[in-house]
Amino acid sequence: MTTATITSNITTASICRFFAEYASYMLGCGATCIRIDRNMERMARTIDATIDMTILPSHILITMTDNHTGETSHHSSSIARIPVNYDMNTRLSKLSWLVAEHRLDLSEAAGVFRHIIHSKPMNPWAVMGLVVLANASFCRLFGGDFNAMGIVSFATLIGYSLKNILLGRHTDIKLTFLACSFISATIGCAGHLFGLSSTADIALGTSVLYLIPGIPYINSVSDLLDGHYLCSFSRFAHATVLTACIALGLTGGILLMRLNVF
Amino acid sequence: MHIFQEIIQDAFFAAIAAIGFAAISNPPRATIKYSAIIAAVGHATRFCLMRFAALNIVVSSLAGAFFIGILAIIISPKAKCPPETFAFPALLPMIPGIYAYRTIQAFVMSMAASGEADFNHYFYLCESNGITCAFVILAMVLGQMIPILMFKNRAFSSTRG
Repeated sequence: MTTATITSNITTASICRFFAEYASYMLGCGATCIRIDRNMERMARTIDATIDMTILPSHILITMTDNHTGETSHHSSSIARIPVNYDMNTRLSKLSWLVAEHRLDLSEAAGVFRHIIHSKPMNPWAVMGLVVLANASFCRLFGGDFNAMGIVSFATLIGYSLKNILLGRHTDIKLTFLACSFISATIGCAGHLFGLSSTADIALGTSVLYLIPGIPYINSVSDLLDGHYLCSFSRFAHATVLTACIALGLTGGILLMRLNVF
Repeated sequence: MHIFQEIIQDAFFAAIAAIGFAAISNPPRATIKYSAIIAAVGHATRFCLMRFAALNIVVSSLAGAFFIGILAIIISPKAKCPPETFAFPALLPMIPGIYAYRTIQAFVMSMAASGEADFNHYFYLCESNGITCAFVILAMVLGQMIPILMFKNRAFSSTRG
């Protein structure tokens, strides 16, 4: 039976470590707790084990119990600090099915896992172009005119470029969001300052919206509904801190340009 | 503008916004088109409900998000991806950004207010916009999560095979 094969190939401790790292990357890439629970349960069933997961704000603790012998094993891992990555989420979820259907054993799965977490993200230039278009469209959805869309596009282009540069240099994410919001808001003031748009207020308000951490907010509600209160609160607090940084940057930009929008 | 044109325009810009927000979350490339389609349908639904049924933005957002969740559940086994992959980015164009902006604006104004009347006025604006913003976000997320939780098995086995 598969259980025997797996336990002869890799130790219980290394299986537990694999599960901890798997959960850590799933959390980091933006998976909901309910999905992580299900994926891990699915894989653990193949070795007749039970997995219990404790998610703390920065760490994850895995307890694996062998249903046959009652032996338990623990492993804690730091939550991977990576950007939201749905490609990784999808591939890691597929990996759990490959294990569940005995198409891969856990030692092979660990190898595939390493390959997945080191895969390259989308071309940053392409992402930047799409984000610029997205934020300009956002401005239009709020009733902005074409000049406002132009202002928002430029503000997003400069702000997003700065974000890439700062994150590339491992600058603190809160400082990065503050700086990007400040720069984008300062540029977003152009509509007011030069009378370029009849919807200058919308341009200014939209110029920083590409920074809003929407997915952490959505995930926090999903986790809340699923009863993962600690993780839900942790995600919500993190997203709120970033939103506060955006608000501070926006206020700073407006005050610097001495706009009388307030 | 002809009303049909307005709906198409709303759907079009929502789709472009969803593509950009999807790109930030680094999805499998084949799924970006689904995010665009789902966002267009969801946002146009909200637009129509607000425009023709004169429904409140919170209720309309709930209905739009519910549509997004349903479509994501239908498409996910075909795309072999978790429904969140396209449902979450598709939801983001509905974020009430302008309400959030006006909340911050009014908050700063209330701090700088010179008298009680001014303070009350700006604090009222801050609360009013803030409450609307919070409830729209809650409605969006709940509306989209309900179908995923209703069809758990389908949602969590979409990556199978």
